[in-house]
Amino acid sequence: MQPATGRLRFFDTGRSARSVRRQRPMNITTKGQIAGAGIGLRPQHYADILDGTHQIPWFEALAENYFGAGGLPLHFLERVRERFPLTLHGVGMSLGSADPLNYSYLDKLKGLAGRIQPAWISDHLAWISSGGHYVHDLLPLPYTQEALEHIAGRIVEVQEYLGCQMLIENPSTYMSFSSSEMSESVFLAELATRTDCLLLLDVNNLYVSATNHGFDAEDYLGALPPDRVKEIHLAGYQEERGYLFDTHGQPVHPPVWDLYRKALRILGPVPTLIEWDTDIPSFGALVEEAGAAQAELDLVS
Amino acid sequence: MELRELQRLMQEAITGDRLDAASMDAAGPEIEPTTGMSGREHLAIYRNAVLGTMLRAMANIYPVCKQLVGEDFFDAMARLYVRRTPSQSPDLGDYGASFAEFIADFEPAAALDYLPDVARLEWSWHEAFHAKDEMGLDIDALGQVPERALQSIRFRIPVSARLLESDYPIHRIWQVNQPDWSGDQSVALDEGAVRLIIWRQGYDMRVDTLSEMEWHFLGEIAAGCTLGDIGDAKNAAGIETLLPRCVQRGWIAGFELTGQDGES
Repeated sequence: MQPATGRLRFFDTGRSARSVRRQRPMNITTKGQIAGAGIGLRPQHYADILDGTHQIPWFEALAENYFGAGGLPLHFLERVRERFPLTLHGVGMSLGSADPLNYSYLDKLKGLAGRIQPAWISDHLAWISSGGHYVHDLLPLPYTQEALEHIAGRIVEVQEYLGCQMLIENPSTYMSFSSSEMSESVFLAELATRTDCLLLLDVNNLYVSATNHGFDAEDYLGALPPDRVKEIHLAGYQEERGYLFDTHGQPVHPPVWDLYRKALRILGPVPTLIEWDTDIPSFGALVEEAGAAQAELDLVS
Repeated sequence: MELRELQRLMQEAITGDRLDAASMDAAGPEIEPTTGMSGREHLAIYRNAVLGTMLRAMANIYPVCKQLVGEDFFDAMARLYVRRTPSQSPDLGDYGASFAEFIADFEPAAALDYLPDVARLEWSWHEAFHAKDEMGLDIDALGQVPERALQSIRFRIPVSARLLESDYPIHRIWQVNQPDWSGDQSVALDEGAVRLIIWRQGYDMRVDTLSEMEWHFLGEIAAGCTLGDIGDAKNAAGIETLLPRCVQRGWIAGFELTGQDGES
C-alpha cells in the first residue's frame, strides 16, 4: 500500500498552507519562553483550552502522545501551539538504561519538536528498558559513579542530536540501592555540571521519594544548583500502606504545597506545571490548582 | 553489580510471570530495605505499577473488547498477553498490535468466535486515527490523464484505510458498544459475513461496509494493481460503476501513472 512517492506529482501542487508549514527545517530553539503556572495538556481539555476564556499562560504536552503521523491529536497540538507556548515532556527516552539510545525515538521527538518549537524538552532520571524491551514505567537508578558517567554521556549525546539543552526530572522512587554512593540531589547537580543540562524539579516526586526513603527534602533542595532549575511540576500522590505512591491523579497535597513554598524561596518564581495523568478532572479544577500555584509564584516574584 | 546486569535482573523480576525466588535472590541484595519493607515488597510496587500501566493502555485501544467480556475477564486476558508480549517500542501507542492473534488462541475466549475480529477492528481504528493526513484524490489531475494512459493508472486507497473481513457482523457489534450508542444493543450473530473499510476522512473516523465487488476492487488496488490489471480480472465488467462509486465515497485517495506515461 506504500505509494511510490516520487511519482505522486499532483500532490506536490495541492498542499495546504498547514502541510507546507510542516516542511520547515528542524532547527529547535528552546529558550524557555514560559512563565507562571501552566497545565498539562490532555485531550479532554482541548476545547476548553482553545475557548480562550482562561488565563493559563502555557501548556505541557506528553511527547509520545503526538508521535503519530497525523490526525486529530497533532491538529489540536498545533492549534494550541498557535496560541500558547508549549513544553514537550517525555517518558520514553530511557536515559538511564544500559541499552543503546533509541534513535528512532529521538528522530520522532526531534521531528515533533521541529514542528511545534517547544519552550523546553524534558525527560526523567530513570530507565524504562532493558534488552530492547520497554516497561513504560520509570525505574530508578543506583546513584553510583558508574551510573553517573553512563547517563551523563547519554544526555550529552541527546542534547547534541536535538541541538538544544534538555531538562532532567527527578522521579518518584519506591526503591533505593545498597550500591548508591551519593544522594539523588548530588547526582543531579553533578549531572548538570557535567552535561550542561537543566533540571525539572517535581516537588510531588521529591516529597514522595523523601517520605519513602526517609531523607530530608529541604537538604535536597539546598543541594540543587538553583540557576539550573527551569521548571517545577506539582501533582498528587496516593497514600498506600507503608509508602506513598505517585499517581499524578489527585489534587496537590498540603505537605507538597509546603515544600513548594520552600522551593520557591530558594529558587525564585520558577515556571510551574499542574500535572494530572490519571483520573483527569475538569479543566476548571485544574485552572483552580494553577491559580493556587500562581498565587505562590506572585509572592516570590 | 554492573548497571546492565542490575537492570536485566530488575526487569525480569518486574515483568516476569511471577516474582519468584530466583529473581529475588539475584536482585534482592541490591535493594536497600527501607520504611519496614523488604526488597520483595519494593519490587512488587513496581510490578503492580508496570502491569497497571500496560492494562490501561490495552483498555484504551480495545474498549469494545473490554465491554464485551467484562472488566475482570479482559484484565485477566490482557495480563497474560502483557506477560507474554514484551513491548518493543518506547511509544506505548505502538503496543498491542498482536492482541487479536493472542485472543484467537486464548482458550477461555474460544466460545466468542467474533472477538479476535472485533480486536482487529479496534486496532485498525487505532492505526487509522493516528495515520498521516492527506488531501484526497485530485479529480482535476485525474481528468487530465490522456485516454491512452487510463489502463496504466495505479490508484491508491487512503493511507489510513484498513480492509477487514469477518464471518460476523463486527461493525454492528462495535457500533452498539460505543459509549454514545442509545439504540437496541442486540446483534444477530448469524447476520452473515461483512467486509469493512476502516479509515479516516479528514479528521472523521469511518467504518464503512463494502459490497463483495467493492471489497475485491479495493483489495486489488491496495495490492498495487493497475486499472488494466484489474480490468483483466473477473470483475472487469463492474469497473465502470465501481470506480466512480469508490471515488465518490473517498476510498480512492490518489493515483499514479505506470509505464511509459509515468516517466517524465
